[in-house]
Amino acid sequence: MQINRTNGYKAVMAWMKAKGNTPFDFQKETWEKYNNGYSGMVNAPTGFGKTFSVFLAVIIAHINAGSPKAQGLQLLWITPLRSLAKDLARAMKQALAELEIPWEVAVRNGDTPVKERQAQTKKMPQVLITTPETLHLLLAQKQNDKYFSSLQCLAMDEWHELLSTKRGVMIELALSRLRAMRPMLKVWGLTATIGNIEQALEVLVPIDVSKTLVYTKEKKKTKIISIIPEEIEILPWAGHMGLKMAEHIIPVIDSSNTTLIFTNTRNQSEMWFRAILDIYPDLAGAIALHHGSIDHALRNWIEDALHSNILEAVVCTSSLDLGVDFKPVDTVVQVGSPKGVARFLQRAGRSGHSPHEVSHIFFMPTHALELVEAAALKQAERLGEIESREPMVMTFDVLIQYLVTLAVGDGLDVKKAYEEIKSTYAFREINDEEWKWIIQFITVGGEALGAYEEFKKLEWEDGLWKVKNRKTAMNHRMNMGAIVSAPMLKVKFLKGGYIGMVEEYFASKLNPGDAFTLGGSVVEFVGIKEMTVQVRKSKSKKAIAPSWMGGRVPLSSNLTRVLRDKLTEAANDNSEDEELIALKPLFDRQRFLSHIPTSEELLVEKITNKEGVHLFFYPFEGRLVHEVLGSLVAYRMSKFGPVSFSIAMNDYGFELLSDVDVEINEDIVRKVLSTENLLRDIQSSINATEMARRKFRDIATISGLIMQNNRGKYQSNKNLQSSAGIFFNIFEQYDSKSLLLRQAYDEVFYQQLEEPRLQAALERIAAGRIVIKEIHGAFTPLSFPIKVDSKRNTITSEDLESQIRKMKAIK
Amino acid sequence: MQEKELSLRGEKIILSPHKGIYWPREKALIIADVHLGKTALFRQHGIPISSQVLDGDLERLSEMIGRHQPEKLIVAGDMFHQDFNTDLQKFTDWRNTFERLQIILVQGNHDKLPMLQYRYMGIDLYKPNITIPPFQIVHKATKGKNEFLQICGHIHPGLMLQGVTRKTIKFPCFRISEKAITLPAFSAFTGLDTSKCDEECKYYVVAGDKVIMIKD
Repeated sequence: MQINRTNGYKAVMAWMKAKGNTPFDFQKETWEKYNNGYSGMVNAPTGFGKTFSVFLAVIIAHINAGSPKAQGLQLLWITPLRSLAKDLARAMKQALAELEIPWEVAVRNGDTPVKERQAQTKKMPQVLITTPETLHLLLAQKQNDKYFSSLQCLAMDEWHELLSTKRGVMIELALSRLRAMRPMLKVWGLTATIGNIEQALEVLVPIDVSKTLVYTKEKKKTKIISIIPEEIEILPWAGHMGLKMAEHIIPVIDSSNTTLIFTNTRNQSEMWFRAILDIYPDLAGAIALHHGSIDHALRNWIEDALHSNILEAVVCTSSLDLGVDFKPVDTVVQVGSPKGVARFLQRAGRSGHSPHEVSHIFFMPTHALELVEAAALKQAERLGEIESREPMVMTFDVLIQYLVTLAVGDGLDVKKAYEEIKSTYAFREINDEEWKWIIQFITVGGEALGAYEEFKKLEWEDGLWKVKNRKTAMNHRMNMGAIVSAPMLKVKFLKGGYIGMVEEYFASKLNPGDAFTLGGSVVEFVGIKEMTVQVRKSKSKKAIAPSWMGGRVPLSSNLTRVLRDKLTEAANDNSEDEELIALKPLFDRQRFLSHIPTSEELLVEKITNKEGVHLFFYPFEGRLVHEVLGSLVAYRMSKFGPVSFSIAMNDYGFELLSDVDVEINEDIVRKVLSTENLLRDIQSSINATEMARRKFRDIATISGLIMQNNRGKYQSNKNLQSSAGIFFNIFEQYDSKSLLLRQAYDEVFYQQLEEPRLQAALERIAAGRIVIKEIHGAFTPLSFPIKVDSKRNTITSEDLESQIRKMKAIK
Repeated sequence: MQEKELSLRGEKIILSPHKGIYWPREKALIIADVHLGKTALFRQHGIPISSQVLDGDLERLSEMIGRHQPEKLIVAGDMFHQDFNTDLQKFTDWRNTFERLQIILVQGNHDKLPMLQYRYMGIDLYKPNITIPPFQIVHKATKGKNEFLQICGHIHPGLMLQGVTRKTIKFPCFRISEKAITLPAFSAFTGLDTSKCDEECKYYVVAGDKVIMIKD
């Protein structure tokens, strides 16, 4: 059917025209495809009206159906962020009112008052805007099928944000249930540009129905400006986070209306906030600090202040990557490497968001070599080298939680559930044995039946597994979700007044009198009382910034590839990039002392000084790959003879330091970097158990082994408290076939160690040339930043006892 | 297996990597924080913890009994986690295979079973402590002056060790100060408190089948 002959199309066009708007081609295409029964994925830059592509498609279909008195839920709109919901609802309500369609639009999430939620479940609105977690909560209600009995469409907003997360798997599972209830359900995703859009559609719509991708031709214009210091230091100034560059931000703030200054970690944002205020105290009151550990109320205030144009600058972290657009923001600064092209462009897009405006982003290097990354980012942006987001698969923890959710709801039908979950992308490869294990885990406790006496969670009734115990059901509902935060403690002034949160780990290392910064102010640690860190104001100049876990993201493989090309240009001295030209003195020094590796070469530097023998390898593959490679090479070298190495790494390369001389030649380098016995040698060289133990914390929480203490609420029964670490030990010892353990190790190997990327890196190195340089005394510009990196690992062949004898007790 | 022999207040005692102390003169085995019934309690609440965890604990205890042939087993508190359940029945069956072993429990904050049940399991209950000079066995070390050296549990002591490379590992440990010997928690299903003691302490970590002294 020709869409433009339909009444719905005509009504929507007339409405748009009256407002002086014309639809983009991709919007019209979405309307047409939707009205022809398709599911699909819409890809367009932020600000181009993705919302109205899918939303109006549903409205047109409704009008075309003769505007029946539609009762019940028609459109379920899922957003990853609560904060987006209000604005969305407002825009939809306005459109509906102007089109004279008597539909109700409601928001439902954790912030929705109970009364409103009850009213919704009594009578569902036609459009419900919600989150993945709240959707699962609906599935945990009795007779939930009545909520969805007239559902036409599910729209998944910002799908790229969820695709590679466990929350994405939650969406896949919920969809498998909804499709079983509503076989004709249309599912549409909305996504920013990512490298694997086809796959993104496949994950959202894994079944055999009409589906399509809708792209825009329009492209967002982005201007990337590097901040280049007048003087390039030959030894890049790593270590101090390049705070001395802060003065270069002032003119940017001055010449802009509102500037967002993005840093990579909360720790870095605290330091830059203080540094900027120290240089330019007049900004006090007009500059704010925004990150995930700052009091929620304060964050809301900052966001409101951004909207109403009272702030000149906000120093922030990924906390402001997403969310509603702030119209007054016209400039963005990225401090330090953004680590990936997609993230950089996403941040750039926070300025100048209407379709034809240009986004401005300044790149502020924190050490000289990051200027090469700036050049690489520009090139990647030109060529559209956007990273892929790998969907998560076989996340058994999420599956266990979901199955219990069904049991809390109308009851778990094991056979039906298996068919449904096997239709999802995440679990299409699950086999009967794994399924059996999962079902045993939630029904009788585990594999060895006799070993789980008295196990009680689900109960068998009328052919279904059900959670009968009200308390168990309530506990489950309160702990649903796939976001696990590190254990956090509230920080409060002695006299009262909440400031924010710090990680328990950080707090445990503080001594009374220590000063630290939080939310930009300096406070003095007094003590910990009842899960609260008590502080008083401090005038100390020497304050530490708290560290939060999960700060260090490695360079993406897309970015490292372009980075190697940029170094090739530097090696050939034929670059036209201003960044590389500015770095000429540094490259000259590197060439004079050693060598500049091209993309076909692996450079190895052997630097001997009074500390010992340093071996530097530069694969340019990102720090995670280097972490594994460093351990692997050290392990393989230690097999040639007794030697201990300490290992350091950054995104460009890694260093092995030894106190005895180590022979190095091409033959040895090729041998230690060969792909032969790779998995076996990796397992012997890294502490996979320890890494898996850390991964297990999230898994234990999501699968319901431990209860998350959100907002300081503790589990009611004190005798039922245990930690993920204890569960891990117990499972390792007594339940080694546990799928949850296997998942922890899989997460280590495929996500943390990026095994496929490692393999590819070694194959690339094997195909290329090896360049070895021996240097006495001086560090080269490439080696210096690795050398000063403080995080070091070691490889040793000594047994546990002799290791323990050399160890020191710490607090 | 490698035990550690010490002399404290003129008494020879042996620290076992099975997380207990053997006192030869009294022919007494001393342990703390067994938390019997904890794994079954978790199962009752839908959290699958294998009952082999309990089997493992009892096996360690049997091994120590076999090795030292004690006349009595003294538990410095928190022998029972909460209520009587299948774990405790299993323990009772195990206990009945050591008929001549006297079991003395110095009551801890967790031990809240009805009196009859202690009797049913053949356990003599003491509170707040039992004194056999030069030692005094108690669950929670008391503050202030005491002429006896206390042997206690309660805190589940652990020690975090760090190598030159900043890599850290946690171990259960015995803590020994001028005033008290703190035992590691006997149960495998317990956490570790790695905060340091207030007074001067020696640490003996349990690493696999060895007990190793750590210089502070």
